[in-house]
Amino acid sequence: MKQDRDEDNNGTPSVVVAKEHNALLIYSLDDAAARYGLTVGQPLANARAICPHLEVLDADPAADAKTLNDIADWCDRFTPLVALDCPHGLYLDITGCAHLFGGEAAILRHLCDALTAQGFGVSAAIASTPICARTMNRHVHGMIVADGEEADAVSPLPVFTLGADEAISGGLRRAGLKTIGDVASRARHEITARFGAAFTARLEQALGEGDAPISPRKPLPDYIVEQRFAEPVSTEGVIAATLSRLAVTLVASMEKQGKGARRLEASFFRTDGVVRTLVVDTGQAVTRGSVIDRLFRERLDSLSDPLDPGFGFDLIRLSASRTEIVVQQQRGLDSHVHDNDDLAALIDRIAARIGGKRVIVHLPQDTHIPERAALAAPAQHHLAAATVAEWPERAQGEPPLRPLRLFEKPEPIKVPLAMVPDGPPHQFTWRRALHAVVRVEGPERIAKEWWRQDGKTLTRDYFRIEDAEGLRFWIFRDGLYESELKDEEGRPVPANWFVHGLFA
Amino acid sequence: MIEYAEIGITTNFSFLRGGSHPQDYVHQASELHLSAIGIADHNTLAGIVRAYSELENPEVRHRAKLLIGARIVFIDGTPDILVYPRDRAAYGRLCQLLTRGKIGDDTEKGECLLKFSDLLEFAEGQLLVLALPHRFDAAAAADILERLKQSGADGVWLAASLLYRGDDRRRLSQLHRLALAAKVPLIATNEVLYHHPERRPLQDVLTCIREKTTIEAVGTRLQANAERHLKPAAEMARLFRDFSDAIAETMRFANRINFSMDQLKYQYPDEPVPPGKTAQQHLEDLTWAGVDECFPQGISDTLRATLRKELDLIAELKYAHYFLTVNDIVHYARSQDILCQGRGSAANSAVCYVLGVTSVDPTKVDLLFERFISKERLEPPDIDVDFEHSRREEVMQYVYRRYGRHRAAIIATVIHYRPRSAIRDVGKALGLTEDVTAALADTVWGSWGDGLSEMQVKQAGFDPQNAMVVRAVDLATELITFPRHLSQHVGGYVLTQDRLDTYVPIGNAAMEDRTFIEWDKDDVDALHMMKVDVLALGMLTCIRKCFDLIDQHKGERWKLETVPQDDAQVYDMLCRGESLGVFQVESRAQMNMLPRLKPRTFYDLVIEVAIVRPGPIQGDMVHPYLRRRNGVEKEKYPSPSPQHGPPDELHKVLHKTLGVPLFQEQAMRIAIEAAKFSAEEANGLRRSMATFRNLGTIGKFEDKMIGNMIARGYDPAFAKSCFDQIKGFGSYGFPESHAASFAQLVYISSWLKHYHPDAFCCGLLNSQPMGFYAPAQIVGDARKNGVEVREVDVSFSFAQNTLEQGDGKYCAVRLGFRQIDGFSWKDQDEERLKTIQSSFRNAPSTSSFRGGPEGRARNPYPPAVVMDSGPAPYGASRNDDAEEVLVPRNDNDVQLDDWAERIIAARNRRPFTSLEDFARDTALPKRALILLADADAFRSLGLDRREALWAVRRLPDDVPLPLFEAAVAREQPDEHAKPLPLMPLPEQVVADYQTIRLSLKGHPMQFLRAMFARERVVPCRDICHRNERLSVRCAGVVLVRQRPGSAKGVVFMTLEDESGIANIVVWPKVMEKYRKEVMGARLILVEGYIQSSPEEVTHLVAQRLIDRSHDLIGLADDALRKQTAPTGPALIEELNDDRRDHPENPAQKIRHPRNVRLLPKSRDFH
Repeated sequence: MKQDRDEDNNGTPSVVVAKEHNALLIYSLDDAAARYGLTVGQPLANARAICPHLEVLDADPAADAKTLNDIADWCDRFTPLVALDCPHGLYLDITGCAHLFGGEAAILRHLCDALTAQGFGVSAAIASTPICARTMNRHVHGMIVADGEEADAVSPLPVFTLGADEAISGGLRRAGLKTIGDVASRARHEITARFGAAFTARLEQALGEGDAPISPRKPLPDYIVEQRFAEPVSTEGVIAATLSRLAVTLVASMEKQGKGARRLEASFFRTDGVVRTLVVDTGQAVTRGSVIDRLFRERLDSLSDPLDPGFGFDLIRLSASRTEIVVQQQRGLDSHVHDNDDLAALIDRIAARIGGKRVIVHLPQDTHIPERAALAAPAQHHLAAATVAEWPERAQGEPPLRPLRLFEKPEPIKVPLAMVPDGPPHQFTWRRALHAVVRVEGPERIAKEWWRQDGKTLTRDYFRIEDAEGLRFWIFRDGLYESELKDEEGRPVPANWFVHGLFA
Repeated sequence: MIEYAEIGITTNFSFLRGGSHPQDYVHQASELHLSAIGIADHNTLAGIVRAYSELENPEVRHRAKLLIGARIVFIDGTPDILVYPRDRAAYGRLCQLLTRGKIGDDTEKGECLLKFSDLLEFAEGQLLVLALPHRFDAAAAADILERLKQSGADGVWLAASLLYRGDDRRRLSQLHRLALAAKVPLIATNEVLYHHPERRPLQDVLTCIREKTTIEAVGTRLQANAERHLKPAAEMARLFRDFSDAIAETMRFANRINFSMDQLKYQYPDEPVPPGKTAQQHLEDLTWAGVDECFPQGISDTLRATLRKELDLIAELKYAHYFLTVNDIVHYARSQDILCQGRGSAANSAVCYVLGVTSVDPTKVDLLFERFISKERLEPPDIDVDFEHSRREEVMQYVYRRYGRHRAAIIATVIHYRPRSAIRDVGKALGLTEDVTAALADTVWGSWGDGLSEMQVKQAGFDPQNAMVVRAVDLATELITFPRHLSQHVGGYVLTQDRLDTYVPIGNAAMEDRTFIEWDKDDVDALHMMKVDVLALGMLTCIRKCFDLIDQHKGERWKLETVPQDDAQVYDMLCRGESLGVFQVESRAQMNMLPRLKPRTFYDLVIEVAIVRPGPIQGDMVHPYLRRRNGVEKEKYPSPSPQHGPPDELHKVLHKTLGVPLFQEQAMRIAIEAAKFSAEEANGLRRSMATFRNLGTIGKFEDKMIGNMIARGYDPAFAKSCFDQIKGFGSYGFPESHAASFAQLVYISSWLKHYHPDAFCCGLLNSQPMGFYAPAQIVGDARKNGVEVREVDVSFSFAQNTLEQGDGKYCAVRLGFRQIDGFSWKDQDEERLKTIQSSFRNAPSTSSFRGGPEGRARNPYPPAVVMDSGPAPYGASRNDDAEEVLVPRNDNDVQLDDWAERIIAARNRRPFTSLEDFARDTALPKRALILLADADAFRSLGLDRREALWAVRRLPDDVPLPLFEAAVAREQPDEHAKPLPLMPLPEQVVADYQTIRLSLKGHPMQFLRAMFARERVVPCRDICHRNERLSVRCAGVVLVRQRPGSAKGVVFMTLEDESGIANIVVWPKVMEKYRKEVMGARLILVEGYIQSSPEEVTHLVAQRLIDRSHDLIGLADDALRKQTAPTGPALIEELNDDRRDHPENPAQKIRHPRNVRLLPKSRDFH
């Protein structure tokens, strides 16, 4: 089985490119692009010259590999023995499986139809050896080679379909041995002497004369525990107790593989077929049953739409759908390692109750713009980053440059008089109270970020100000007198002043 | 009136830091009426000459005093210190300080590594300003100030700046306390990064490029505001109102500096002058001695008078040293049998001819010497000398030996942002994806100077209204012309009498053993320093190889100057357009021009070389010239209105070119004569022309020149076209003096091609990569001219292509192993060079800059390395002490395995009789055997390609395979095996192309002929004059695709089949429709009609094109189906191929046919 990604979308030729030797080369292309005569390995610049309206996507081999793996997962339904043939092939050992699907032809059709429907380009063949199937597949799609007819089937194919090194394929072509049949007609020792035993072995496998097993992927372990009930259960106490028990079992099975859960799912199967699933995310990998238990209890308590057991649940399943490896750490030697554990546990509990997005930490951002200097992020995911984050340091012995907290929005203040071009106000009115300025430092001039789209923001002059009562403000004037505070005719317009925060 | 001097200016020569050109500051200072500005770039003086020269610009009305300094940035954590030399001596020390930072053993190109202690060593006479960072350690700063005060410096200051950081005043009072305690004055500066606040976005982008990040991610590494621009005195005084003394201090600082660039008094080195003689005397003696040698029969009175006049002019302008220096270098080359040829304004003088600097006979070309050495511009004359490109390095090493590294260095080339690189970097900084920037960058081909036009943006498939793209394009446009880094010039040397590192800092180059100064050729010119260009020319290598071959095989020894001139048969050949392989005139455009121009004399060749250039083409001068030359149009001379001047004022300028300006000099002369430019203005025009793409100042000259000419009664159209031509010259301007030297090589290569096609073919093949054509065409052309070409064969071939006894009129060419792709062989020239370089590396006394160079023994000709093949060094007085003749050092070099040498050695011991013998006797690796077999080189052993390959593959591997892998199989004989199928001819031909890029067995098209004939496709041969207007179908392999910038979107293609080549014209309309075919096909079928000019220049005008590449692929079965390796970036071929004149031009390496698979790929533009 072989699959290719099909990038064909509404007829615009598109190619996937990857950088190689400092040039963008075509990595794969769709039919429309192929119709333009573009080829894999061609520099993008050349391709553009031929086809200027080319759509270009960047190659992502990791995603390709993942897709191939996903397809392999999907193929598990046909046979447990699925092997990868990177970069875009799969081997399926269907020995003994075909009859379950109505025979070889049916399985082939079924599989190809399903994959095609999912949007993949598929080419597949069935033969008694993997190499034979692959060799066929490189030339034609949908062939089933009957046992014993391998040699006849592959003989007319060109040598490159064997998939050997270009040095070997080229050498054979130069020798005039252009088909597999030509090569097979020579004495094997002649071929081995020139192209090595590995090639001869491959040739023999293609001809059905030898075989090598495929190496199937190992399925990933799933952590699922469930309890069936002969009699449907519906009381909260039983449900809670069941979850506690399942949690212990789940943790035990994960522990064997050194895993901890980052996402847990509890599914409740009602007797009438309705399934309700609760999902809980955690900030750090959970390795204790009691924690799981507590998290689900918080969750169940806070449900706005409580579990409706109806006539009762006959199956409760607990699964860890996302896990990660946990390093078992020894407490005591480095007593700071687990400093955050309690905090993280607390965050998980609160998050389970009020929702993960509502528990936040602040992360410093590298920008001059005060409003954006701190970013609020979900605490469950960013706790570690927040604990190590470096906030700008204050110069020793000097007052802070900025208030600890800014107002949600700067609040306008009334300034009757300020010195042009960059002087502070002598007094100002904020929330209807008049403040007389006694001490000032500044201005700190922060220009707009010219690359942002809006273009409305102006340069600000910030001042640190102390009034007669000792209150300290961070105020700014929006706009520069000389250049920005002007109307279309160049006449000066009055400046707007704001208070952006208070110093403690 | 408050006065202020800004001393903290960073220009864009602090690469990716400064946001304005040095010139911008000069203008801005003039606007703001600043009293003085101090340029202090990061560890460099690279930008100062630009600022200095700009003071001459008449637009600068208020000339600020220019202070020359540098901002020393240390690697040991010391805060930056601005260093301003007080006088000339201190300036020298500053240069030496920077040189020390740049030239350390482990210092990479472009780095400058300095410690605080280095500064202290060179501090004498300097004005030092400590510029502390925003947050600083007061105690450490006090300590530094104390040490600076004790360093012998002329004065120490503490810089203070108010940059709107919020705590400015607090910091200022801290600085004030620090200054008081240290007893140093506080000095105000604005730490300027750009001349005007509008440059902030660009400076931010530069920061992103420098930090290799995007504008979204760069954060606080940007400046918070736009304050770091040049501010007027009043504003600075207002900012420093509480510390007004810091402002006053700037003027005290500026007044203390006595140094200006005028004080760099340049002295010619006096090496070539023997003691007791003046340079002028010596030059005159050499000149008259040269006369006796060149003209044993004596010379005419006119020539004598010319020589006298030239010598007088040289004496008047004191250029004797310059001529002697060039002469010295040329003589060295001659003594080593290195071909060379001078060109340039002064090279075509009678003096240079008798000295042997040029072989262009001055009596042939009536070039007015004094026209080119203008008395007004006191600039040194310009003589570029071209040397064989493969041996140029020897000459360069000679220059170093002769003058020492402390007095000779290569000048810099400032690499500027070009449209392509600008949009790339800006796009990246703005976070556009690589794909988008690549698409934008791809649209800029062929556009010089101006930014991306809206059309180009559209062409790349973007909406010109898209804010991000517009912003990127705007910023990129601003960034174009910014210096990006310094690189070494291809061969320009500056030579001084005393230590060069007291004039200008010298740094390591990327190439080992190379150093170069921080200034480029314009800077060096502006300071009137002497520059000698030691350039490389591939064609000279080729000509030397041809001369050697003729000598070896025909017993005739020719030299550049002895080749018989004015041979009618040579001109006949050129008139027929047969110029394949000939220097300069082999391009398709030139080939088309030859039959139209019909060159009959040497001067015609000079015109031929110059006419197919952007200047004459854009100025629309080509057709008028051709019409006049062919008598269709009468010669006439534009003239001014009678009241403005004599009607023949342009006749003098233009009579040689029939009234049509073709050369750069003529355009300049027109500016002077017709537009009445002053010498100074003309000079400005010339400069802006040379740096047209850099500065874009040409616009104001345009108005002035055209305006003046119209005012004086000239035809506006003529005035306009004159100026268009000047614009077209750009920096690829082609002066008559260069054309004349090139024409000489055109003639000599044509002569070789006509009389010695065998040697010419062989020499050309051995000089590859070079020129316009692939080996297949060179060989095809030679065979057409009756030269027998023989296959590569292990029994007869050498590494190089060689000549053998031929059956006919000419020798036969035996193809050499070098034609085989991937075959390992050694180039004699490269070997020689390696030897010289390694010996040079061992010479200790020359590479040190710290040792005192004074009082070195003056030896007129330091010894060269004696090569076993070469004659004794010129002037061989080898009695000296310092440098010994060194044994070549080879131990460290990676020994390239010379397979060819092994074959020849084995063959000399005993001839090969079988493949097994061959393998045993040569002990070549299996890879070599396979390459030879694949190249069909075993025919003399009775094996064709297929048999040989089959046999070779069976031989044991050099690296033993895993145990038992193949050993068992090899034991078994396969003598009884049935024979392999015979390789059909088409497949042989294709295999030939794949292995040696040419085939002597046939042309791929001949096997398709029967099929094409059935389709009524005519051979390329039939696209000829007598079939004019016929509608035909023609098919061929695509050799070249071109879309010349000057041809308004027309695409030219060259097709080849077994009968010859055909030229296809594709008009834009057709191109639009058949773009896929035009750009993608390897084998193409063209339907169209034949168009032919009266001169029989014939084209097939395409109406329909069909991609037939699959037929080509089918030809060799699937042998061609294999994808060939990518051949590097897009191939672009401009109509003008000037850039090929400099083989070191990287563009040439990229797009040379050698890198292009002939059969599958053509030479393309995109």
